[in-house]
Amino acid sequence: MIRLDNIEVTFGDFTAIPNLELHVRPGEFFTLLGPSGCGKTTALRTLAGFIEPSRGTVQVDGKNVTKLPSDKRQVGMVFQNYALFPSMSVWENIAFGLRVRKEKSAESDRLVRDIARRVELSDEQLHKNVAELSGGQQQRVAVARALVLKPKILLLDEPLSNLDAKLRHQLRQQLKDLQSEFGITTVYVTHDQDEALAMSDRVAVFNKGVVEQVGTPQSIYDQAATEFVCKFIGDSSALTPEFMAEVNRSSGAGLSPAANSYLRVEKASLTPPADGGTAVGLSGKVVSRTYHGLHSRYVVRSHGAEIRLLVKEDGGVHPEAGTATTLYVQPGHILQYHPDSGKALDRQDQAVSLP
Amino acid sequence: MSTPSAKSMVRSPFVLIVGVVLTWFIAAFLVWPNLNVLIATFFPDGSFSGRAAEKLFSSQRAMKSLGNSFLLALALSVTVNVVGIFIVLVTHYFRIRGSRILFLGYASTFIYGGIVLAAGYKFIYGDKGIVTSLLVKVFPTMDPAWFSGFFAVLVVMTFATTTNHMLFVANALKGVDYQTIEAAKNLGASDWTVLRRVVLPMLKPTLFAVTILSFLTGLGALSAPQVLGGRDFQTITPMILTFTNSPTSRDLAALLAVILGAATILMLAVMSRLEKGGTYFSVSKVSSALQKQQITGPLANAAVHGIAYLLFAVYTLPVVLIVVYSFADGAAIQTGEISLGSLTLDNYARVLTQPSGLRPFIISVVYSALAAIIAVGGLLFVARLLQKYKNWVTTVFEYLLHIPWILPSALLALGLIISYDHPNPLVGGAVLTGTTVILLIAFVTVKIPFTLRMLKASFASVNSSLEEAAAIMGAKTLYVFRRILLPLVLPVAAAIAALNFNSMLDDYDTAIFLAHPLVQPLGLVIKANTDGAEGVVGVANTFVYTVLLMVITGLTMYLVYGRTSRRRITQNHPRGVPAAPVPGSSLADSSGNVSDDKEPAATVR
Repeated sequence: MIRLDNIEVTFGDFTAIPNLELHVRPGEFFTLLGPSGCGKTTALRTLAGFIEPSRGTVQVDGKNVTKLPSDKRQVGMVFQNYALFPSMSVWENIAFGLRVRKEKSAESDRLVRDIARRVELSDEQLHKNVAELSGGQQQRVAVARALVLKPKILLLDEPLSNLDAKLRHQLRQQLKDLQSEFGITTVYVTHDQDEALAMSDRVAVFNKGVVEQVGTPQSIYDQAATEFVCKFIGDSSALTPEFMAEVNRSSGAGLSPAANSYLRVEKASLTPPADGGTAVGLSGKVVSRTYHGLHSRYVVRSHGAEIRLLVKEDGGVHPEAGTATTLYVQPGHILQYHPDSGKALDRQDQAVSLP
Repeated sequence: MSTPSAKSMVRSPFVLIVGVVLTWFIAAFLVWPNLNVLIATFFPDGSFSGRAAEKLFSSQRAMKSLGNSFLLALALSVTVNVVGIFIVLVTHYFRIRGSRILFLGYASTFIYGGIVLAAGYKFIYGDKGIVTSLLVKVFPTMDPAWFSGFFAVLVVMTFATTTNHMLFVANALKGVDYQTIEAAKNLGASDWTVLRRVVLPMLKPTLFAVTILSFLTGLGALSAPQVLGGRDFQTITPMILTFTNSPTSRDLAALLAVILGAATILMLAVMSRLEKGGTYFSVSKVSSALQKQQITGPLANAAVHGIAYLLFAVYTLPVVLIVVYSFADGAAIQTGEISLGSLTLDNYARVLTQPSGLRPFIISVVYSALAAIIAVGGLLFVARLLQKYKNWVTTVFEYLLHIPWILPSALLALGLIISYDHPNPLVGGAVLTGTTVILLIAFVTVKIPFTLRMLKASFASVNSSLEEAAAIMGAKTLYVFRRILLPLVLPVAAAIAALNFNSMLDDYDTAIFLAHPLVQPLGLVIKANTDGAEGVVGVANTFVYTVLLMVITGLTMYLVYGRTSRRRITQNHPRGVPAAPVPGSSLADSSGNVSDDKEPAATVR
């Protein structure tokens, strides 16, 4: 549906994106994820036609649109702050594109009302000023304004970033529901990994203008392809060579002690897994415990490594700081990266250790 | 911070002293003089009389001037908007080659205005002007007085008052969220549609405000019609001046001033009313900065470039000619023909060394400096109290202090003249009219609203915990004020004083009514020179004065705006230096925001 091939974007001397390849499938909810300044918004704006790449091609639905202006690409866009026209009513905002196209007014009105109903905006709201709407309603207006022109793809540029946490959760769901209802191919930009994991079919993780990994939310989380992805997504503890040697000794897993190794906080445990599994126990000492209500966060020192882990507060008795304890780890959960390239090491024992 | 009630204010001796002085000042110089004008108009002998109105209706000259003023005001509202919007778009919205240079040209009205600008245009385009002399040689049949009357006044005032657009509209344009422009483009809108349907509607409140300011400027115009209007085009304010000077027609002057004042109040009321309705500004919290737009059509692009540079020439030609001819000898000024040999420093030497040349300059500097210091110094205390105590008493005071803002200066001046031309108990039985003090009082009065708003905003921006921290450690009110607040507010106060000083340096509108006959400030001398008072020497002197004024104003502007803006970037200064205030608030906006004012834009009246 969307193909970005060999794209380079430069601003003066600065190369924002050196060489970008992205393929988005029809109907997919595709997310560009990365820290601020990583080039994800630049990639989206290149796709939207606001930035002309210095090299490469952009294709939408099999058609080369690299040189086409934004409005000829059949892309709809929802901006970071929705960019609703403050001097117009809701109806006028949604009808703007239709009126620019010189659509007949009766037809415009029908289309506006139709799309408004589908995004659940009432007739009464259509005649309000945009400033009178809540954040969620403004978002629906922005989506309706983009969709009324029947674009082939919908671009969303951090549309939830300027909202408070509660509303963000609520609108995230609303946006996802709208997307699945319309079935439109969607490219979404965010720096919020939680949002990316919860909403996307596939995610591309950006770092310094380069795509580090493309995959389903689960694959980028569980099988982070690079050290950057591993550290950017989720929470993990760095492991020491001594720790790795101890794991190898007790499990015979044959992991590389020299590699940069990480363990996700939820993968370590202070109790042996119920089914026994492949977990090995290592001796350690509780450094600190922070109570969070739902769970406690522990820091356990073991063989030179400070392992962070979560313990569910289910009413059981849990060790206090300063006490000795045993740490249970499955060797297959350890993520390993080449110290120089940052690329994930092959895991020969993957099949064995993962259930 | 809590807001103490009216009662608690009385307990502080500091508040009491300031309150008493303030009450006296407001009563003596803001309320009584203007009330007196009303009395002189409608109750000349203690009982109501419509004689002034009858006199007005039977005076053809007065009626004509009324009509002319409204005609000028209406025409100016249109022309200033056309030119003003164009130059703002060219310098801030469209991608135009050399827009920095264009900006400097269009901004030349920041450094000279009022009588100086009107005089400059007369000396260049007037019947004996430099350009006219040259043109007559080429086209002997042309009318040397081509640049006079309604047309000349309108042209001069149009180009002189786009300052408001450069300040306010440009500022509003910078606030437009660029994402809305991209959104419109993404939806298929053309350049023209984006401008007409998205950008201009967002500027609406600012455009309303500057339109009304332009209307009021036209209505109260004084120097431009006087210098360039000729016999056929006189407006209200010059007429008020004429009638004021003869005691038998003072009531007529008062009535005209009342009409002018009423029209001003009405327009300002309309303005604050219009601002209350509708949302025009971006509803978003995060907005992205405007990027300049390329005009896509090559023909349209060429046309816009052409007009932009033509306007640039119109704006800069007077400035360039004034600077060049300020070095020229009398013959060159008279004929317009100039050669390198005729350029000397003689004019500067004469103005700066001979008492007759230097005297008006010194008088103006002394008056302006005194007025600026008194206004800022006095209002420092007042602004502090108004910002600290918010109750009905302070609200009333604040409204009263805005009187000079809503009334034209001609009305204020006339009020002072007729109130203090006989011994008056309000000022200890003294006669003020005809003394040197009355002009100083008027200068201070006129500067009160601008100074007050800026100082209040500056006090409001001081973190109140600082004050509370000092109070907890035992510091008394005055000590806190002196050691904590004053040092923080002082840079802003200095900037305001500098801007006030600037705007009074070339004052004409107030001085013409009130100046002592032997202590004539610069504005009056320049005006006399446009009437040919001192012949070619007078013209040359005016050029030198103009250059000196432009240097002083330019320097102040740089010190106030240029440096602070840079400092603000590096230090992230949170304080409200009077950066281009945005118009768009009612006159007594008690929130203390830095909002609109007619200042510091130099206007031609």
